[in-house]
Amino acid sequence: MSEEYEIWLAGIRHLGGKKKKLLREKLGSAREVYNIEETQIEKVPFLTENEKEVLKIEKKRDIKRINEEMNEKEINFLPYYSKNYPKKLKEIYSPPYALYYKGSLDLEAVSVGIVGSRAPTPYGEGVALEVAEALGKAGVTIVSGMARGIDSIAHRGALNAGGLTYGILGCGVDICYPREHRGIYSDLIKCGGVLSEYPPNTKPFKSHFPARNRIISGLCDSVFVVEARKRSGSLITADMALEQGREVYALPGPITSPLSEGCNNLIQEGANIFLSVEKLMEEMKINGKISDGNSKQNKKTLERTEFLLYSCLDFFPKNLEELVKVTKLDIGEVLKGLIELELEGIVKEISKNYYVKIKEI
Amino acid sequence: MAFGKVLSACIDGMQVHLVQVEVDISNGLPLFEIIGCLSSEVKEATKRVRTALRNTGIYMPAKHVVANLSPGTIRKRGSSFDLPVAIGILQAMEQVKKEEKTLYAGELSLDGKVNGIPGILSIVMEGKKKGIKKYVIPSENYREAALVKGVEIVPVEFLSEIIMENTPRLKTGRERKIKGNTRKSTVDFGEIKGQEGAKRAMEIAVSGGHNILMIGPPGSGKTLISRGVPGILPPMNQEEMLEVTKIYSLAKLINPMAPLIQERPFRKVHHNVTKAGLIGGGMTPSPGEITLSHKGVLFLDELSEFKRGVLEALREPMDDRSISILRRQTVYHFPAEFILVGACNPCPCGYYPDVERCSCNAYEREQYQARISKPLLDRIDLCIETPKITFEEIQSEKQAESSKDIQERVVKTRKIQERRFEKENIGVNGEMNISQIKKYINLQPEDKPLMEKAFLRLGLTARSYHKVLKVARTIADMEGQKEVESRHLKEALGYRIR
Repeated sequence: MSEEYEIWLAGIRHLGGKKKKLLREKLGSAREVYNIEETQIEKVPFLTENEKEVLKIEKKRDIKRINEEMNEKEINFLPYYSKNYPKKLKEIYSPPYALYYKGSLDLEAVSVGIVGSRAPTPYGEGVALEVAEALGKAGVTIVSGMARGIDSIAHRGALNAGGLTYGILGCGVDICYPREHRGIYSDLIKCGGVLSEYPPNTKPFKSHFPARNRIISGLCDSVFVVEARKRSGSLITADMALEQGREVYALPGPITSPLSEGCNNLIQEGANIFLSVEKLMEEMKINGKISDGNSKQNKKTLERTEFLLYSCLDFFPKNLEELVKVTKLDIGEVLKGLIELELEGIVKEISKNYYVKIKEI
Repeated sequence: MAFGKVLSACIDGMQVHLVQVEVDISNGLPLFEIIGCLSSEVKEATKRVRTALRNTGIYMPAKHVVANLSPGTIRKRGSSFDLPVAIGILQAMEQVKKEEKTLYAGELSLDGKVNGIPGILSIVMEGKKKGIKKYVIPSENYREAALVKGVEIVPVEFLSEIIMENTPRLKTGRERKIKGNTRKSTVDFGEIKGQEGAKRAMEIAVSGGHNILMIGPPGSGKTLISRGVPGILPPMNQEEMLEVTKIYSLAKLINPMAPLIQERPFRKVHHNVTKAGLIGGGMTPSPGEITLSHKGVLFLDELSEFKRGVLEALREPMDDRSISILRRQTVYHFPAEFILVGACNPCPCGYYPDVERCSCNAYEREQYQARISKPLLDRIDLCIETPKITFEEIQSEKQAESSKDIQERVVKTRKIQERRFEKENIGVNGEMNISQIKKYINLQPEDKPLMEKAFLRLGLTARSYHKVLKVARTIADMEGQKEVESRHLKEALGYRIR
């Protein structure tokens, strides 16, 4: 089994993908690299002293154990020369030497990356969920980073719609980070997969995350940035996407919202403006029905107070006090109306006594 | 016969035990000894008594003097036995006459002065129950003891007074009108601008005896509103005043010149408080903050900063409305009927959901909120947000409703509840248990689907469902409505804890 050696070579930390590639090509195979004598290592011209030391140490590792671990954890291994290696990734600058993944890998369909803030507003949350669900239903693969906020909402939306979705991690695929996403992590493995360029057991180091962003954009045909602060990691993904020739869409937001600053800047710099799922799908030439039509059936006639309250609310949280002041009703009335709307699923209480509109009527 | 017998009392937690002090003087080696399950401060009484007597001009005979405090099984603490022991010796020396049904309590100074002691009110109240008519007590405690009517209170300032008079009696001119302790609450609700929601919720909480949590950014007025709470609490009746004064007397927290506590207690507790400080404790348990807020309000500011264990300890007393502490095979009971008012920020930085200022993510917020234990939140009926105050509100000249007007309504609502719970052992809606909720809250048939929908959609639990019902009952009572209607339920739903 020569794959054992391939996994060993791919799993060497502190040795870059390019060097690994050079070594492998120069010596013919990973097995040759493993069997190389120490005196020979010294003669390899493109390795630095450090890298030579690393190689010497790594050669002492138990290859069988590495392999067993991969099997135990049901992790699949996909090196760059494999014919299954995603074509889209091959095109990018510095593609990962190898990919590790759990679940299945099927990137044939059109795929969209949805990225955004880790602490989004209800507005961003709502749009991300809606878009992910619509695209998932239309058979589009959703790629994101399984981070808090928009990322996890995008995955959730795709899962709700029964679509394929992939999470690109900044750690080994056997580690679920952040920990509270265990649910999404296990669902992703069932309906898509989690994917990483880092060997198993790699901890989520800070530096890994910007690097994994190139894989998110690399695996996609378009990237949709939902909400981003001025200096957000999502903008790195957008930059990478542009470098890799992907389409970038950004969700416009109020100029007063710091969480929309990054997106608005992107639009100014020439990114596509996101106006609706329909338009996005049209531009991407994706077929699929999204308007389910029952929104019209659901149209309810609201009572006067409820309608008054409804018209006072928007996607940005309003608190009880403001609503009382604007509507000039007393608190009991306002609370009654809000509960009414909340029960109808039109309004959501996002923090105690802060309300947002989540559905248009 | 060189024998003296005096009645006194000792305090054990909140309980008062009557104690017989017997003094015997016999021939033998000169010795002065007190026996009868004493703690060290009672043992020290020998030195104080001997010196105080000498400085009053009485020399103890060089004989074998034994004082026994019976019953011998109860631990005696405190310095209140100085006076009865001294009187016992004087009786045995035939310096003063024996008196039946008279209780002595007080601490002696070395110069023969009688010093005040804590808990005199409890002692006199218990003594009255046992049929004791006369009480000789330190003059410092006179006003406190005189709160009990129908008994004779004899204040003494110096030991010599008793000896000179031979038998102590009330000096004329001593009795003055007893002033109450009138602590005015510092904030009137009329001065608080805006915050209508919080004020309304506070009124509901106070009306129905519900625990309440305020969530809001720093500086939004959570503490200010809580300071206004004492002003809207219904006044206490005589019985309640005495009950509270008893506790404060034990905790040495009363003003001897104006001992009666007339206003409901309002205790603001810092988040550094220990478990013993909050619920009571110590070697011999002394009342903690929850007992000091008996019949009143316990205010916990920055709820999420409290140590977890400390908050967890609140669970039992909040259910039982009292706390039992076990020390040395004795269970001490302290009452703890209070309304809990909590305040906390919505997230670590305090500004969520104001995205311009808040940089906390969902995870941090969750972690922050998880610091307050769920079981404690389960015992809080109402939750309200206090938004930041706008400039117009600060500037506005408009006077809001004054605390006095609100208080009047609260009293009215409380009366309705009293009438309802006449046959129950509770007084307010907040104290209802599940069977009482079933008995006193009849949902209208058309409201059942509403509550079912709320149960499913808003993720209510069985406990929070019952809390909503209780709060709705109070809102209906505030309107004077007999039955809980759907608008009451909906408003109550708006105050639920998320």
